[in-house]
Amino acid sequence: MRILITLLVGAAGLLAQGTTPDMLLKPPADSWPAYHGDYSGRRHSSLTQITPENVRNMGLAWAFQTGQTQTLKCSPLLVDGVLYITAPDNVWAVDARSGHQIWHYAYPKNDGFHIGSRGVSMYGNWIYFMTPDAKLICLNSKDGTVRWNIAVADSAKGYWTTMSPMIIGNHVIVGVSGDFDNLNGFLKSVDPETGKTQWRFDSTPPAGTPDATTGGMTWMTGTYDPAAKLLYWGTGNPTPVLTGKKRPGDDLYTCSILALDPETGKMVWHFQASPHDTHDWDAVEIPVLVDADFHGTPRKMLMQTSRNGYFFVLDRITGENLLTTTFGPTNWATGVDKKGQPIPNPAKEPAPDGRLIAPDEGGLTNYRSPSFDPKTGLFIVDAHPSYGIYFAKPADGDFGWAGADYGVWGKGVLEAIDYQTGKMRWTHELGPNGAGAGVLTTDSGLIFTGDAQGSVLALRTSDGKTLWHAGAGGSMQSSPITYELDGRQYVVTSAGGVLFSWALPER
Amino acid sequence: MVSFLCRTLPIVLALPCLGRAQTVEAGRSQFQQQCAFCHGKDSAGGEDGPDLTRSKLVAEDVKGDKIGPVVRNGRANTGMPRFNVSDQELASLVAFIHTQKTLAESQNGKRRGVETADLRTGSVEKGKQYFNGTGNCAACHSPTGDLAGVAKRNDGLKLMERLMYPRGAKSKMTVTLPSGESVTGETAYQDEFTVALKDASGRYRSWDASKVKATVDAPAEAHVELLAKYTDDDIHNLMAYLLTLDKENK
Repeated sequence: MRILITLLVGAAGLLAQGTTPDMLLKPPADSWPAYHGDYSGRRHSSLTQITPENVRNMGLAWAFQTGQTQTLKCSPLLVDGVLYITAPDNVWAVDARSGHQIWHYAYPKNDGFHIGSRGVSMYGNWIYFMTPDAKLICLNSKDGTVRWNIAVADSAKGYWTTMSPMIIGNHVIVGVSGDFDNLNGFLKSVDPETGKTQWRFDSTPPAGTPDATTGGMTWMTGTYDPAAKLLYWGTGNPTPVLTGKKRPGDDLYTCSILALDPETGKMVWHFQASPHDTHDWDAVEIPVLVDADFHGTPRKMLMQTSRNGYFFVLDRITGENLLTTTFGPTNWATGVDKKGQPIPNPAKEPAPDGRLIAPDEGGLTNYRSPSFDPKTGLFIVDAHPSYGIYFAKPADGDFGWAGADYGVWGKGVLEAIDYQTGKMRWTHELGPNGAGAGVLTTDSGLIFTGDAQGSVLALRTSDGKTLWHAGAGGSMQSSPITYELDGRQYVVTSAGGVLFSWALPER
Repeated sequence: MVSFLCRTLPIVLALPCLGRAQTVEAGRSQFQQQCAFCHGKDSAGGEDGPDLTRSKLVAEDVKGDKIGPVVRNGRANTGMPRFNVSDQELASLVAFIHTQKTLAESQNGKRRGVETADLRTGSVEKGKQYFNGTGNCAACHSPTGDLAGVAKRNDGLKLMERLMYPRGAKSKMTVTLPSGESVTGETAYQDEFTVALKDASGRYRSWDASKVKATVDAPAEAHVELLAKYTDDDIHNLMAYLLTLDKENK
């Protein structure tokens, strides 16, 4: 008996060790230990307690009020029964069972862009958080105290940071933002213990290189194939943003999907979603990793619904293109080249008298996560069919934005794409302007997302039918997560500055 | 007296004692943090947000009387969020925005933004043909009726935006209740679950969408169908034509 107790205590002790490499490779049901949950970026959970049959009984378990007017844009992290959520300058540790606050960390006032914070990451018991003024902060997960604080980039030059760092082995991988100045984009790997740089990958040449682009920011968390030992990362648009004259050619490696060696940062292959972009269409949307048949052959694939309106399926080992198609209105390309990359139409570059462009600058989708459901083979994405007008003239110069654009019309549609053909199996209207919510699927055949008018939705994956909804009083600008604690499945969503946890009634 | 209070009661009164330069600087800092992503670092336009140095609302603003309500309430249909700012913070923001406007107006060239003159590249004649022909605009609009003076009421960019899609256009909703009774009014709200209208008396009435039958007559939605059909020339020709409609009906 004593031996058994010792073993149990030992096991519980081990459980409270924060994250481990094994946990990140195979997240247990009672955790969501990284931005996407696992490394694949599918935002799919194997949990099945909440089903299409019983979801109508789902109700509020708890809500957590940040007390901020800033909309939550983070994907919560869950480790050892504690949720970690963020807003710019703020990290909260929240009890995942009850929703009460354990600690709150507030970063000192700073002049960086407070545009969003997409969450923290965890290595052992250490939390990694990025700030509006481009710092990476290491916090103690037990009490939110600062261990160290390093500059990732120079915020005085115009860089800022928003992303949830990515942990692979003993690497903390961090990216940067900065579209309002001509700055080069890069990705860095940092030592989790010391904050020292391990490697740096530059997506564009240094500012000032003749005829070369800047930009290619790295502001969204990537995905990882542990078997192939490849890290996948999307890069942002080139700068100057709306005029391409000063940066002739494709502007590599902007608007690209990159495969990198996470040990060295060396690039293995690249695929450019938007060669010579002039519409601000970052290709940072989640590179989703799927192992399945493609037209009868087993494939290791990477799929992306890109902001520019194209859906790409690639062989993720070689970078070979398997499918390129659109998933809504697009009018800016003349076709697709032999590598599967869209060919931009010069007549659709911003002009002094305006050009009508589909999609608008926000894109046909944006950074919130899509989800891949393995049972149905459906890629579920929050789409934004839209049009905008784009202007640029010599007087706008060639620095930063260098032009102007205005959205004229848009709406939100949830789309279920058959990855083998790119065709829609079904669509579900989400309302005017656009929803912008992330998507979660579960093995029971459910989708959780939000509409354009503040409702949280549970839909049936097979046909997109609404099975449950609740008005949350604000738009969902984050991606949902789910976990199971003490035998109860929770689905966590946000609206405005409030976090909601939904569950079936307690028995 | 003021300076004495500033020195002796720094916590309570420090902010109201700020000079104009300091107020503008405080506004700049706040603008960088909360506003610059959408409106640009210099407030002359960034991602999504308009150029505030040429905004009509900013031009008409006196000490925040127009800017304040927009900052504090947001604008749901354009994506402008609401911000919880103190009176002092708002005053700083407003001071910064007005300073930027003055600065922008004093510069030649190096300006973003869209001049009406930029938008006159099309053919008036072809625009008129499109209006009466392919575009079928004449089915709903008349140059001597609803569109008389449209170019006077809207500057070039606003006109172009409204030509493509008249945001906020009213539509009519008819709701048939289970009893067979039918109610008609201006559409007030519609999603998958709830429909609502403002009836003839101005009263807001809403229903569970699954319990009633609602039909919406929204003629402005015809603009959406045209978005997929326009060439850029069609738009510039239409603009050239609409810009000639600058006289109001007497």
